[in-house]
Amino acid sequence: MSHTEQEEPIPRTSPRRLGKMLAIIIGIQVVGAAIFFTHYDYWNSYQPNAEKIQLGLGTNTQQKQGQATGKTINVSLKFVESSDFKTLAFNAVSGSDHNPEIHANVGDKIVFDVTNAGKSYHAFAVTDSKEGPGPAIEGTTVGTADSPMKPKESGQATFVPSKPGEYYYICAVPGHRELGMEGKIEVAPSGGAAQPSGTEVKPTGNKVEFTLGFVMSSDSKQYAFNALPGQTGSNPDIKVKSGDTVTIHVKNNSKSYHAFGIVVDPDSQPAVLWNSAVKSADSPMKPNESGDVTFVAGAPGTYHYICTVPGHAALGMDGKFIVEP
Amino acid sequence: MGHDTAEWVFVAIVIAILFYVGVDSWIVQKEVEEIPADAEVIKVTGQQWFWSFEHADGTKEKITLHLQKGHAYNFEIYAKDVMHSFNIPDYVVFEDAVPGHVNHAWFSPDQVGEFPIQCREYCGIGHYQMRGSLVVEEGKS
Amino acid sequence: MVLELRKPRPVWQIMFSTHHTDVALLYTITGMAFLFMAGVLALMIRTHLFFPGQAILISDPATFNRIFTVHGLTMLFLFALPFAAGIGNYLVPIMVRYKDMAYPKLNAVAFWMNPIGGALLWLGFSDTSWVSYAPYSVIRAPGPAADMMIFGLKILGISSILSSINFIVTILKCKHPDLPLRQVPLFAWSILTVSLMTVVAMPTYAASLIMLLTDRLGVSGFFNPSLGGDPIAYLHLFWFTFHPEVYIFLLPAIGMMYELIPRFSRKPLFSQGSGVFAFVMLGLIGFASWGHHMYSTGMDFTTKVVFMIGTLAAVPASGMHVFNFLATMWGGRIRFAAPMKFAVGGIALFFSAGAGGVLNSAMPLDFITHGTYWVVGHMHLFLTGTIAFGFVAMMYYMFPFITGRMYSEKLANIHFIMMMWGTVQVFFTQHLLGLEGMARRIYDYPPEFTSWVQLNQIATVGAWILGGSFVIFLANLIYHSAKGKEANMDDPFGLGGKYYYPYQAKNPTHHTGY
Repeated sequence: MSHTEQEEPIPRTSPRRLGKMLAIIIGIQVVGAAIFFTHYDYWNSYQPNAEKIQLGLGTNTQQKQGQATGKTINVSLKFVESSDFKTLAFNAVSGSDHNPEIHANVGDKIVFDVTNAGKSYHAFAVTDSKEGPGPAIEGTTVGTADSPMKPKESGQATFVPSKPGEYYYICAVPGHRELGMEGKIEVAPSGGAAQPSGTEVKPTGNKVEFTLGFVMSSDSKQYAFNALPGQTGSNPDIKVKSGDTVTIHVKNNSKSYHAFGIVVDPDSQPAVLWNSAVKSADSPMKPNESGDVTFVAGAPGTYHYICTVPGHAALGMDGKFIVEP
Repeated sequence: MGHDTAEWVFVAIVIAILFYVGVDSWIVQKEVEEIPADAEVIKVTGQQWFWSFEHADGTKEKITLHLQKGHAYNFEIYAKDVMHSFNIPDYVVFEDAVPGHVNHAWFSPDQVGEFPIQCREYCGIGHYQMRGSLVVEEGKS
Repeated sequence: MVLELRKPRPVWQIMFSTHHTDVALLYTITGMAFLFMAGVLALMIRTHLFFPGQAILISDPATFNRIFTVHGLTMLFLFALPFAAGIGNYLVPIMVRYKDMAYPKLNAVAFWMNPIGGALLWLGFSDTSWVSYAPYSVIRAPGPAADMMIFGLKILGISSILSSINFIVTILKCKHPDLPLRQVPLFAWSILTVSLMTVVAMPTYAASLIMLLTDRLGVSGFFNPSLGGDPIAYLHLFWFTFHPEVYIFLLPAIGMMYELIPRFSRKPLFSQGSGVFAFVMLGLIGFASWGHHMYSTGMDFTTKVVFMIGTLAAVPASGMHVFNFLATMWGGRIRFAAPMKFAVGGIALFFSAGAGGVLNSAMPLDFITHGTYWVVGHMHLFLTGTIAFGFVAMMYYMFPFITGRMYSEKLANIHFIMMMWGTVQVFFTQHLLGLEGMARRIYDYPPEFTSWVQLNQIATVGAWILGGSFVIFLANLIYHSAKGKEANMDDPFGLGGKYYYPYQAKNPTHHTGY
């Protein structure tokens, strides 16, 4: 059954030929690996259509970001985890640093510097939904649930609220928000326009009066209106309606020199509006001096009443003057 | 033929063992699947990537579930997004959580203590973290 | 016959040839390449799981999920099936005394679909897990990776079906008129059974892949509950294919053992009839048990019982094969060359894998083991312990015929000891891990579970031994294919002239018959 005579010598493989075959096999693998790794981010880059359909079956009002016309707020956040992984948070698992609350106005640019200081993976997003991992407002994400931030990774996201209300910065990995990775962003209303215009309006005839007093701590380190920072009544919010005739009685209850005025923004637009000044930086109010000013509140928006002596507003003499429409 | 008898005997032994396995399984599974009438219904919802629970009286719990020793509990298992599997290994509670379905599994914890809960169906990157705790306390009958 | 057919042929002539031996070599060599690629992935997984809480080699869970997905897909679709098709391509025409496969050009086309499908799978590197259950693969798995995977699998599935058709026609229609079907060697019978099963089972999978794709695009809702579908439908379709498919993976390896054991025992096969009967029975009953993968999905009691009976009914067939092997070896003058060692080792591991499987099929016990490392250990005992052992045995056996040289028996011995030891250490340990409750497909586990940590570490060491054994295997084969001692082409294994080797012909048109 088997042929035992050999008609001719049997040709066998030589090392050169074997080398050629190995080169082909390994070469194909190398080329493939090159293609794969040079486009590493592409292969798993988008979610299937079906997911969008499924998520959109609930409410799908995706908020867009607003115009940055206000000030820039820099927030530094770190994802942290408790050692048993049952509690997660931003910055600290408990204590005063835990999930810091952010206050902003419509139009402020909140710049988030986010770092993953935990051992697991996370993703950052700003959302207006009260629970669940989203939907995230476009442009506010660092990483996503399906392509998250690895430990020690960091990134930046910007959020410019276009509408007032309560927003939340969360970890967008499902489950992590419920375990504690959620912080509030309170966006104060500014009646429509991003920054108040400060234009004058005709008086409506409505009259309102307020009393404010400059106060200072004994070590001259803390400045405020009415009460020192941290105490009740410090820098009270003043709310008036556009067109109101506002009278403010100002008293200098401190040992230093001050002056009063209503401005749009003490940092960027410190010009006093509507003739609401009482004295000025060049000619300030002396200790125990008092004065009055009456003016018509202008266009709606959130303004500031400050001490117009340079530096005093930054040191604390800065309260909200809210003009409602 | 002579040498075929050995083969018949071998196959017969194998079939006998399998028959035994099958019948015993049938009996045990029938018993296991009978849910007692007084079992308290606990709704279990699996979603990426945590378990949440709702007791019969409306109390909601997340990740950790508190139950009483000696009571019978009937889990109603739901899933919100993808397939998960609700599993308490120490009590062999195991049933899939399938979106669009409600599955049932019942048990009665007979020991006080803390027992792990885990997900046993691959559900994405958080599958390994989808763990929880069952805390069994002394029953207040 | 020898790799170098006439005066050294250019490599490209081998690559684009349609002759069955050349296509067989292409299948086998690409299969081996994918084996090593997937093996590297497996070692990465096991190394990573050595310490809990550490990201060794694998930096994040998303990458981990992709690695185990591609490992599974590659080993099953790019190694197990193509390798069996390769050995089948080589031997089946000889065994039925025909000059080539029934459709040689189709044969080559079916082969070339493998690298293409493989490229799609590897470039995409999807993370759905190899079973890609809905709804995860529909609504969560990112694209284009998952879509590439679906296309790649479709191409591989078509390749499988085409080569199955080729085998069926070759064996049934092209066999020599003087050769009755029941005397065709058992390896060819195993290929015939497997091909018939593929033709029945694979189209279901192809259909479910299309459904997955349209679901992903959002145009259909077969498996998406929010569009009126049911994820369990996918499971049924998938397992209807893949339970028979696991038998499709297994049977060629058993068939290979049928080639080796009678020959190396220097004794005739105990019973050709039992072997044929067992293959056919397994082929039919294999279709009745798919639900045992779905015991926990909420099926009613009667359905579970029916599937359990179907699962248990397939076991006697496997038992008959084991009996056949043992009865053949009994009283034989066994020559324990490398092929025989691996064949016998494979039988032993096959038996232990089957025993574990019986436990799995018992419904209440399945609730302890489903979705845990017990299943991983069980299936790998079959895949590595039986199928890989059988394939390796066949590789060693065919080596002298294909290359004309002998491998090193000493290195093969070391390979055998390491592979046996490594397989036992990894996969038996994983059975225990499963009993301890460790779930599958998890990137990390709580370090407080000290038993998990220890068992994982034992398993990882075993995996490294197993990996090392494959490196020795590769070195043995590669080196000796060019520099090995020239083999005695009449009787490379020194069995003695009475036990012939049927594939002695030096050129493709000259077959010796059987």
